[in-house]
Amino acid sequence: MADKQQQVVVKRARHKSSVKDPGTPGVLKLTKDRFTFMPNDPSSPVKHNVEFRTIKGHKFTKDGTKQALLNLTQDQGGNYIFEFENFPDRNVCKDFVASAIALSGEAGRTVPEKSAVPIQDEQLSAAEMERRIKLLQEDSDLQKLHKQFVIGGILSEAEFWATRKKLLEQNYSRRPKQRVALKNDMWSTKPLADGQSNRVTFNLTPEIILQIFAEKPAVRQAYLNFVPNKMTEKEFWTKYSRAEYLHSTKNVIAAAAEAAEDEELAVFLKQDDMLVNEARKKIRQVDPTLDMEADEGDDYMHLPDHGLPRNDNKDVLDSQYEPYRRSFSQHLNQHAAVVLQGRVIDVELGDTRSVAEALARTKHAELAKDASDVYLDKERLERISRMTEIEDLQAPRDPAVAPLSIKDPRDYFDSQQANAFSTLGDTVSGAKQLKCSVSTREAYCSLKECISEIKFQGLTEPTINSEVAFKVLNGLAQNISSNKYHLGRNPNESVLDSLPKITREELLLHWSSIQELLKHFWSSYPITTKYLLTKATKLKDAMSQIYPKLQEIKESVQSDLRHQVSLLVQPMLQALDAAFAHYDADVQNRSARSGERPNGF
Amino acid sequence: MKFQIEDVTVYFPYDNIYPEQYAYMVELKRALDAKGHCLLEMPTGTGKTIALLSLITSYALSKPSNPIKFIYCTRTVHEMEKTLSELKLLHNYQLQHLGPAAKILALGLSSRKNLCINPTVVSAENRDSVDAACRKLTASWVRELAAENPRIPTCSFFENYEKSASEAILPPGVYTLQDLRAYGKLKGWCPYFLARHMVQLANVVVYSYQYLLDPKVAGIISKEMQRESVVVFDEAHNIDNVCIEALSVSVRMQTLEGATRNINRMSQEIDRFKATDAGRLRAEYNRLVEGLALRGDLPASDAWLANPALPNDILKEAVPGNIRRAEHFLSVLRRLVQYIRGRLQTENVEKEGPVAFVASVNTQAGIDQKMLRFCYDRLHSLMLTLEISDTDEFLHIQTICDFATLVGTYTRGFSIIIEPFDERMPHIPDPVLQLCCHDASLAIKPVFERFQSVVITSGTLSPIDLYPRLLNFNPVVSRSFTMSLTRDCICPMVLTRGSDQLPVSTKYDLRSDPGVEKNYGKLLLEMVSVVPDGIVCFFVSYSYMDGIVNSWHETGLLKEIMQHKLVFIETQDVVETTLALDNYRKACDCGRGAVFFSVARGKVAEGIDFDRHYGRLVIMFGVPFQYTLSRILLARLEYLRDTFQIKEGDFLTFDALRQAAQCVGRVIRSKADYGMMIFADKRYSRHDKRSKLPGWILSHLRDAHLNLSTDMAAHIAREFLRKMAQPYDKTGVMGKKTLLSEADLEKMGNSNLGEMF
Repeated sequence: MADKQQQVVVKRARHKSSVKDPGTPGVLKLTKDRFTFMPNDPSSPVKHNVEFRTIKGHKFTKDGTKQALLNLTQDQGGNYIFEFENFPDRNVCKDFVASAIALSGEAGRTVPEKSAVPIQDEQLSAAEMERRIKLLQEDSDLQKLHKQFVIGGILSEAEFWATRKKLLEQNYSRRPKQRVALKNDMWSTKPLADGQSNRVTFNLTPEIILQIFAEKPAVRQAYLNFVPNKMTEKEFWTKYSRAEYLHSTKNVIAAAAEAAEDEELAVFLKQDDMLVNEARKKIRQVDPTLDMEADEGDDYMHLPDHGLPRNDNKDVLDSQYEPYRRSFSQHLNQHAAVVLQGRVIDVELGDTRSVAEALARTKHAELAKDASDVYLDKERLERISRMTEIEDLQAPRDPAVAPLSIKDPRDYFDSQQANAFSTLGDTVSGAKQLKCSVSTREAYCSLKECISEIKFQGLTEPTINSEVAFKVLNGLAQNISSNKYHLGRNPNESVLDSLPKITREELLLHWSSIQELLKHFWSSYPITTKYLLTKATKLKDAMSQIYPKLQEIKESVQSDLRHQVSLLVQPMLQALDAAFAHYDADVQNRSARSGERPNGF
Repeated sequence: MKFQIEDVTVYFPYDNIYPEQYAYMVELKRALDAKGHCLLEMPTGTGKTIALLSLITSYALSKPSNPIKFIYCTRTVHEMEKTLSELKLLHNYQLQHLGPAAKILALGLSSRKNLCINPTVVSAENRDSVDAACRKLTASWVRELAAENPRIPTCSFFENYEKSASEAILPPGVYTLQDLRAYGKLKGWCPYFLARHMVQLANVVVYSYQYLLDPKVAGIISKEMQRESVVVFDEAHNIDNVCIEALSVSVRMQTLEGATRNINRMSQEIDRFKATDAGRLRAEYNRLVEGLALRGDLPASDAWLANPALPNDILKEAVPGNIRRAEHFLSVLRRLVQYIRGRLQTENVEKEGPVAFVASVNTQAGIDQKMLRFCYDRLHSLMLTLEISDTDEFLHIQTICDFATLVGTYTRGFSIIIEPFDERMPHIPDPVLQLCCHDASLAIKPVFERFQSVVITSGTLSPIDLYPRLLNFNPVVSRSFTMSLTRDCICPMVLTRGSDQLPVSTKYDLRSDPGVEKNYGKLLLEMVSVVPDGIVCFFVSYSYMDGIVNSWHETGLLKEIMQHKLVFIETQDVVETTLALDNYRKACDCGRGAVFFSVARGKVAEGIDFDRHYGRLVIMFGVPFQYTLSRILLARLEYLRDTFQIKEGDFLTFDALRQAAQCVGRVIRSKADYGMMIFADKRYSRHDKRSKLPGWILSHLRDAHLNLSTDMAAHIAREFLRKMAQPYDKTGVMGKKTLLSEADLEKMGNSNLGEMF
């Protein structure tokens, strides 16, 4: 997406005032912040030059439908309909528009002149970029912060994201977005005959094509082999449809005859060898308590012609037709297996070839992996032994608990951290002066003292006084829950509800920006380089700007709420105070040591 | 837990035990004490297998001076695996509580196909080619040649196994097939031959029925089992069918063609040997004169399938003079093939007894009964002499010889049926000659005679008095146990009408009625929207299933069903079915579950469990009657009527209902489990049919559930599922204990146990 931003997309299209309108032919030019439409006929009045930030959304027709339409809806209710010559063109534009709208939305309508992603001082892959943009789009808070600090120039892009590495990874590897499964719907091969002519039409959409490729590896392989060298895509699907039609007539002999004449058609008509091979590989992985193939391997009773013939005779068919027989049940099983496996590839559906290739790749990888998996073996054995146990004859083996699922661990730890700051700020920092330069001897002595003390008193059992522990835990728990209020994640019970909307939002915004700033501030200590020094200074400045704003809020609210607001604001102020104190102390230290004062101080 | 049953301390690997398990063990113990056979019926879902295993192993442990061997027969390999993993659990428990004294050796035995670890051999297509590929590497003559010429390939695993000779033993433990293969790989020994060898020494052997019942296999595998063995046939409700199948052969045109090819090939080989190594043929002749059909003891790797007739029936005589010479024997075979070919030309169905058939062979082909009887052994000897390793190519001639030997050995209990075409497809000529056995007691007789205790057990053995008659034995204990239930965890229903109130049935005249098909589809559609997790549907036959699924597809019903659940289906291809089952389980483990379409009497119905969330509902579409126009079935019915005075209709109903009960019984595994069963056919509401269902189903079949329509059934299903979702007390309510702890058992003692049941 990042490189697309640099692009300009130019496509032929017709502008239409409504869907039925024949439209004005012209050229549609898309740049990252606006689109322009120039009619071929320069005298035509239909000219457009619209910024994307005024575009609210876009709609488009499905691939394979009658018209390749793209409909851009404007904020104020107007819309622009373009018809393209073909779907690929439309799709390019569609993608571009989608990203452009997202970007303009992200940049915020209030700062239209700012491009969404500022100039970077690092090389980023397109994927990385996309990821960040997506995150920003999904999380408006984050977006606000990003706007405030990165675009405001307090933090660099890299610094901003450095603290969110986890978030980036998490979103993409550990917590994949829920993907839409394949439709559990067999492509009905029932052809649509129109009754009058002898024509039979089949309807193929990219979704169906994906399904066909997934269910019939031979077709996929054939596609990769034949298209576009030997035949065009259209010919390919025509042929495929013909084969399907032949199957649907259930006339095996006719199918065989046709296949004999046309070797490409034969590929579709014959049984799928790849599936057979795959099945033979997979059967080795099967749970032995299910393995009926092994059973057949042990059955000497049914040597050919021994035992009583089964009542269900297969219908007799010449062996030459055997490869062309295909049962519906086989198809059914294969279909269900594919659906069960889910959407294994993550490719845009429009491009048939890349879909086929991606599927072939994943299949290949999967089979290669299967071959050498000892782990799977072990897992299977464990599973069997678990399955054999009769569960109600014994006490449940594991305590019946569900694993704790913290929806977003970040919330928890962030609040903890903020907590630590606030408590540190008012209790510990002032109370004890830490002695930093300790000689070895001193350290030893104090340790010795401790040890002898313990020797004398004996270890308290438990090591921590339970009352104290209880107190600490209680305090922590309370703090966490009160933090929840601050974060406003739990609006139902929050005091924030009672505040006027503007105040609330302002508070939340300040809170999150303070958090962000503090995070960066503290992470820049100890200051070892000039860079960190300037960063800390910058951050401190930014924080000191917020400080008076908080005071303002406190004063601006109505008197009855003032107490609550001040309660909310207090920890923020404390945290800031602690940061300032630390900064000043550090500056003094620094100047004392080097005799040189940093800029501005 | 451990507890006493009379003088035996039973080690049971769970903290609690069901009362019926305890009672089952008591009965079993009595049978073992009496050294007699027994017949025990206990509903599925009551932990039969573990009760059996723990009693018999404990029994063996309590009598260390006179250790009994335990032979456990399962119908299928996957059941074997299940049993072995239960045994593993038990063995671990016993080791914990008894220490090394509890050590036993238990192993499963299967064919080369499932045990071979030589990659070149095991990659072969089917069982027969694996066997042949193995022989090509391990036959004694091949190895002799290889000793001289290192370029001839042998199997390194087999060579290593042979080299380590007596050291090649399995340490005590429980070995599944997988474990055997792993151990073989570790040591570099052939697991198949290792297992074959260890079977003689093992305390517990788990293998398939046919290793005892089919004389062809039993002859080489189970020859040397000691008399002090306890043989268990689990899931034995079909045992009569297995027995008669073991002794049945059919011959088609293809068989005859193949046999002719085989004869030609052998005659070429004979010519070649005559030119190069005439001494060998002469040696064989001399051996036959001395009355030895086979060389004294064959190396294990040469052993082929044994004589198809039962060991007691094989005459200990010399091979008759006129087939001792190889070329004479071949000409006899040629005449026999020619004769059968002639018989297959018939245009009418013919049926005769073995005696008449043998007489006619004698007059028309000049082959007497004795020659027929020795056909198989003579062929075996000849093939060894000719050093034929690709045995998979010679299955056709083997079939002919099997047939000849059987028809020459038995005079009653068999009939020969020649059909020029299949009844259902009269326009396609497909002549077949069938030798079918009707007497189930023949095949199992040697088992009853050889072993001191034979236990026949299953979830459905009702009517329990029928089995001793069919199998012709006298059990010392014959009991049927009921299930003590904590709650009504099964919910059988009989559905007689569709939502449009029209009757549903798979009766011949209604079967292909589109209305019935639609009603069945609607029933399933209702159910998939109500029932969570897995649903299993059983149909009466493959062709019926194919037809109805196709018609559901065409009418769009299938599509609607698929909006609720994934659909899997059993096919005639086992690989595909296995994968479908595997996927079905995966689908039930996650998401909205799945539907599995299967066939009563099919492979899935025979041994796959659909317990817990893998099956919350079973729908039995129709009554799984056998194809009643089949000549074989008619002949068997006639035999049953004449010998046991069993009425045809009764037997057919009994057979159909035991299949249906077996199908629906697969949903329950323990009392914590629950499931519904729908019998969707109006004929189930009739008393004569219904009453043949096993007691544990009947006792839950309420009168209100006997005549339901689709919407009523859906309503009941909803109610039932809601009820099952409530918490309950596992140990039982209202003074009736359904779960016993160690303390309970002690308190109870053995005296008042009787009152509980």
